[in-house]
Amino acid sequence: MGDISRRHFVKSAGVAGVALWLGLTAKGAAGKRSTLAAAKNFTPFILIESNGQITLYNIKPEMGQGTYQSIPALIAEEFEVSLDQVIIKNTGGEKEFGNGQRAGGSTSVRGSYNEMRKVGAAAKAVFITAASTKWQVAENTCYAEYGKVIHRPTGKSAGYSELIEEASKIDLPKEPKLKDAKDFKIIGKQAHRPDIPIKTNGSAVFGIDVQLPDMVYASIERCPVIGGTLKSFEATEALKMPGVIKVDKVERIVGIYSFIGVAVIANSYWAATQARKKLKITWDTKGYETYNSADYDAYLWKHANEEGMVDKNIGSIDTVKTSPQNTIDADYETPVIAHHTLEPMVCVAKVTGDEVEIWSSNQVPNLITGAGDNDIPALTGFKPENVKYHNMFIGGGFGRRLYYDYIVEAVNVAKLIDRPVKTLWSREDTTKKGPWRMMTFSKMSGTLGDDGKLIAFRHKVIGPNFHESLFKTFDKTRLDPSMVEGIGTQDYQIPNLRTAYVKTDSHLPGAAFRSVVSSTICFPHESFVDEMAHKAGKDPMEFRLNMVAQTSDTWKLLQKLRELSNWDKPLAKNKGRGVAQWKFFGCQLGYVVEVAHDPVTGMIKIDKVTALIDLGVVVNPDNVKNQIEGAVIMSISAATKPGITFKNGVVEQSNFYDNPVPRINETPQIDVHILADGGRMKGVGEPGVPPFAPALANAIFAATGKRFRKMPFDLQVN
Amino acid sequence: MKTSIRFKTKFRTFMIIGIMSSVVATMAFTLNKESEEARVPPAPIVTKDSTASVKAFKQVYTVLMSARCMNCHPSGDIPLQGEDSHLHTMQPRRGVDGKGVYAMKCSNCHQPANTPGLHTPPGNPNWHLPPADMKMVFQGRTPRQLAKQLVDPNQNGHKDMKKLIEHADDGLVKAGWNPGEGRKMPPMSHAAFKKAWITWLTTGAYAPAK
Amino acid sequence: MISLNVNQKNYRVDADPNMPLLWVIRDIIGLTGTKYGCGVAQCGACTVHLNDEAVRSCVTKVSRAEGQKIVTIEGLSKENDHPAQIAWNEENVPQCGYCHSGQIMSAAVLLRENPNPTDEDIDAAMAGNICRCGTYLRIRKAIHLAAELQRKGSASK
Repeated sequence: MGDISRRHFVKSAGVAGVALWLGLTAKGAAGKRSTLAAAKNFTPFILIESNGQITLYNIKPEMGQGTYQSIPALIAEEFEVSLDQVIIKNTGGEKEFGNGQRAGGSTSVRGSYNEMRKVGAAAKAVFITAASTKWQVAENTCYAEYGKVIHRPTGKSAGYSELIEEASKIDLPKEPKLKDAKDFKIIGKQAHRPDIPIKTNGSAVFGIDVQLPDMVYASIERCPVIGGTLKSFEATEALKMPGVIKVDKVERIVGIYSFIGVAVIANSYWAATQARKKLKITWDTKGYETYNSADYDAYLWKHANEEGMVDKNIGSIDTVKTSPQNTIDADYETPVIAHHTLEPMVCVAKVTGDEVEIWSSNQVPNLITGAGDNDIPALTGFKPENVKYHNMFIGGGFGRRLYYDYIVEAVNVAKLIDRPVKTLWSREDTTKKGPWRMMTFSKMSGTLGDDGKLIAFRHKVIGPNFHESLFKTFDKTRLDPSMVEGIGTQDYQIPNLRTAYVKTDSHLPGAAFRSVVSSTICFPHESFVDEMAHKAGKDPMEFRLNMVAQTSDTWKLLQKLRELSNWDKPLAKNKGRGVAQWKFFGCQLGYVVEVAHDPVTGMIKIDKVTALIDLGVVVNPDNVKNQIEGAVIMSISAATKPGITFKNGVVEQSNFYDNPVPRINETPQIDVHILADGGRMKGVGEPGVPPFAPALANAIFAATGKRFRKMPFDLQVN
Repeated sequence: MKTSIRFKTKFRTFMIIGIMSSVVATMAFTLNKESEEARVPPAPIVTKDSTASVKAFKQVYTVLMSARCMNCHPSGDIPLQGEDSHLHTMQPRRGVDGKGVYAMKCSNCHQPANTPGLHTPPGNPNWHLPPADMKMVFQGRTPRQLAKQLVDPNQNGHKDMKKLIEHADDGLVKAGWNPGEGRKMPPMSHAAFKKAWITWLTTGAYAPAK
Repeated sequence: MISLNVNQKNYRVDADPNMPLLWVIRDIIGLTGTKYGCGVAQCGACTVHLNDEAVRSCVTKVSRAEGQKIVTIEGLSKENDHPAQIAWNEENVPQCGYCHSGQIMSAAVLLRENPNPTDEDIDAAMAGNICRCGTYLRIRKAIHLAAELQRKGSASK
C-alpha cells in the first residue's frame, strides 16, 4: 500500500485478531464469515474486529454525490452503529464486492436501500442473539444501540466486538426484521458526511493524489485531429530535456476507437509536459481533417426529414387536421459539451510481470477488474485476477468517469517502465480529447384542438448515438431507447403522439453526461410544451396540469411546485417565470425559474430557482439539496455556456478561458424542496439537470418574448 | 504634511500604472475651432503646432485604445481581457489601490514576468489598474475626451510635462509591447508611439475636435 | 537547490526554478491538498498563500516563492479549525471536494481582510475559484458563517 495507507480508503488492511465479516451471499441472503479467504460467492459489507474496530464497506464510488455517507448509513441504521464510530472503506472492484461497484443512472441509494438495510438488520440480530445466549437471558429483553447490545432489565452491555466468538456460531436470520421508518436515527435526518472533514483540510486522497515510492510521471501527446493516427515520431529533443526517462507510443481505447499517442515519461510531471512540447510527431489525419461543426450541423438537419426509428406512435397522428392557426413546427439544437470534471483524467499504474496494480478515480470499478471483453483486463492483456485496483475519491464524475480510456492508456504507459507511473491529463487534454456529451437536434410539431388542448405532438430526435461509439456490438437496426429517453413517457395525455430517432453517423467518441440524453432532449420537449401553451393562450402551468391525470406523479409534483414557487403571484414588469418538469430513469423533478430582464443592458438575470424533487424516501435530505443546487449550476453551464466545436477536425476550445463554466457570481437563489411521502424511492444525482434549461428558456420567454430554441442561450436579450 | 504624504502615495501609484497622461499642473485650456491648446510650461521647449499635435495624438490614441492599453483602463471597476476587450473572466475588482481585492489581487495570477504559454496571465512586477481615486478611464473615451483627460492635472496624477514624457518609458507602459504569447501588439512600435507622444506634448498637447 | 518555507517548515528542493510552485508542493514536497485544475490561473484549485496572499501556484514559478512564506491547505490550521474550515463542515459545502482546498484558501484571505463580507464581497473574492459540482450557494453561506464565528472568536479573546 505504500505511503498512502495512512488514509482510510481501501480494504485489505491487516485484520486485528479475531474478526467477523457480515454481508450477502450470491443469492442475496445475509451471511457471515470468520475469514474472508474462505468466502465464496459472499460479499462482506461489515467487518467487526476484536479490537473494537467496525468497518463498513461502501461499494458505490464517491464522486461528490454522497455515497460515502448514504450507503454506509443504510447499513448503520439497521446495525445500530453511528457513522462516527466506524471506518468507511471505498471498494475498488474486488471480486467479492461484485458487480454493484459502479455509480451511474442515479441508482446508488435506491438500488442499495433494501439490501444494505437487510445486511445491517441481520448483523444486529446475530449480535442480539449472541448476547442473550452468552448472558442466558431472553432475546426480547436485549436491544442494540451504538455498536453494543444492551440487556434492558439490568443495563448490562457488550460491544459487538466482544461478541464475535458467540456471533460466529449463530445463523443469520433469512428475513431480518427492518425498522419502521419512524424509528430511523440516520435515514432521513440531517447528517454530516464523513468525507467532508478530509475535504476541508487537504487530506482526502483523490486519484491525482496517489503517491508511491519511486513513482514517475507521464504526459501524453495525442493527435489533435480526432480520428487521426500516429505515423511517426521523433523524440531526440524531448529525450535531451532534463528529467526525461522514456518516450514511446501508447494506445488509448475509448469505446470502439483505438487512438495512438506518444507518452513522455519523466521524473516529474512538469518535466514530462516540457519535454512533450519538444516531440516531433507526424500524424495521419486523412479523412478526419475536414470535419467541421457547422457542416455536421447541416448534415443533421439534412437528415431531419427522414422518418427515423419510431418509438411511441399513439393515436393516428398523420390524420390530425392541422392549420397554421393551431400548429407550431419548431427546430431545436443542443451542442456537444465537455464534462470538465475539475480533477482531470489521471491514473497511477505499476506493472510487475503479468500483474498490474492500478490507482485511479472512476465510476465503474467493477469493470476495471471485470472479466468482460470490454473491461480493463481484456483491453490491456492482463488476467482479471492479476489486476488489482484501488478506487480513490473522485474529483467529479458527471458521466465522464463511466469510461476508463485513461486507465487503459495509463496501464499501457506503465508497461513501458518498471516503476509506478502517474499519467495525468492536462485541462487542455480533457477538453480536446473527449469523450464528450454529443449533441441532439429535435424536430418538434404540435397541434391544438378546438378546446386549446394539445391533440398531436411529434418529437423527433436527430443525432449521433454515443452507444454506437462505445460498443462494437451496437445494433444499428434497432432503436436505442436511450435516445428517446423520457420523450414518450411523460404523464401528459396527448391523444396523438409520435416520438422517433434519426441516427446519424459520427466518428467522435461520445459519452454519457449527467442525465444522459435527457440532458439534451428535455429542453426541446418542455420548451415546446410551453410554446404550445402560449399558442393556446393558456398559462403554462395550467396547460400542463390540464394534460395530466389528477392521480399522476406529475399532477402531484406540479401542484406542489405551483404553491412553493408562488406561481400565481404576479411578477413585476420585465420579470418572468418558467416551469418545466421531467420524469425519466424512474426519477422526477420540476423547476420554476424566475428571471429579470434589464431592458437597458439587455441582460437576463436568474433571480430565483425553485426545485421540487420527488423522492418517495429520502436518506440524507441536506445532501439531496446540495445535489440539486449543484445540478442547477451545472445546468446553467450546459444551457448558457458555449459548447465544444470542431474546425478541421480539431476541437476549437482548450481550457476554462474559452470553454467557461459558471462561477460564484452567476449563482442565483436556489430553493430546493423534497417530496418524500413514502412512495416509490427515486434517484437524486441526475434529475436536477434535464428540466432546468427549458424552465429557464420558458422564463426568458415570459420576461422578454424571446424564445430560445438553441443552446447556448445568449443571456443578453435586446 | 498629511496632504503631501497622500499626494506622494497617489503619485507613485499612478506612475506605475498609467499608460499615459499629459501635461502639467498649471495647464489650462483655450478653445479654438478645431482643437484645444494647452498652455504648457516653459520647459521642455514647446513649439505650438495644432495640426501636428492633433495628428500625433490621433496616433497616440490608436495605441491607448488598443487592447494592450485599454484593458487595464476600463470604464468600470473590472479590467478587460482579450483582443475584443471583454470583461475579465473571473471579474477581479480594481480595489482602492488598483491592485485587486481579497483573494483576487492582480499579482495572485499576474507574475513579475509573462507566464509561458498561450492564454496564461501576462506579467509585470507592478501589474495593476489605476487606483480608485484616479481611474484614468480609456474605455469609451473619444479622442477629444481622452486628450483632455490626459492633460487634466486632477486626472493625470499631477504630472508635469517632464514626468509625462518620462512616463512613455514606464515599465508597465512598455509591458504593452511585451504582451505574452499569442497576444497582439499595439498598432505601432514603442519607439513610434513614444515619438508621437512626445510630439503631441511638445507641440501644445492639442485635443482633437471630437 | 531552492529553499522554501511551507507551513512553517523549511525545505530545500532540487527543482527547475521555472517549475510552477504547484508541482513542487505536490510532487516534490508531497503535500497533495493543493490541486491542479487548469494550469493557467483560471480555476483556483491550486490556491496557496504566498506571504499571506492567495496566489495561484500553477502559474507561480517556484523561484518567486524562494525564501518566502508559503501556507497550503494542510497548514491553514492545526485541527481543521480555521473558521472557514469549521463553517465548510457545518454547512456541508463540498460535493466531490476537489476544489475546496483552493476555495478555503481564497475564503481565508477574504475573511482576514473583511470580517463582515456581503454576498457581493464574497463574489468579488471567490469568482476566481471554480466549483464544477456547483456548491457556490453553500460557499456563500459558509463564508457568512465563518465571518460570524471569527467575530465571535475575536470577541471572546
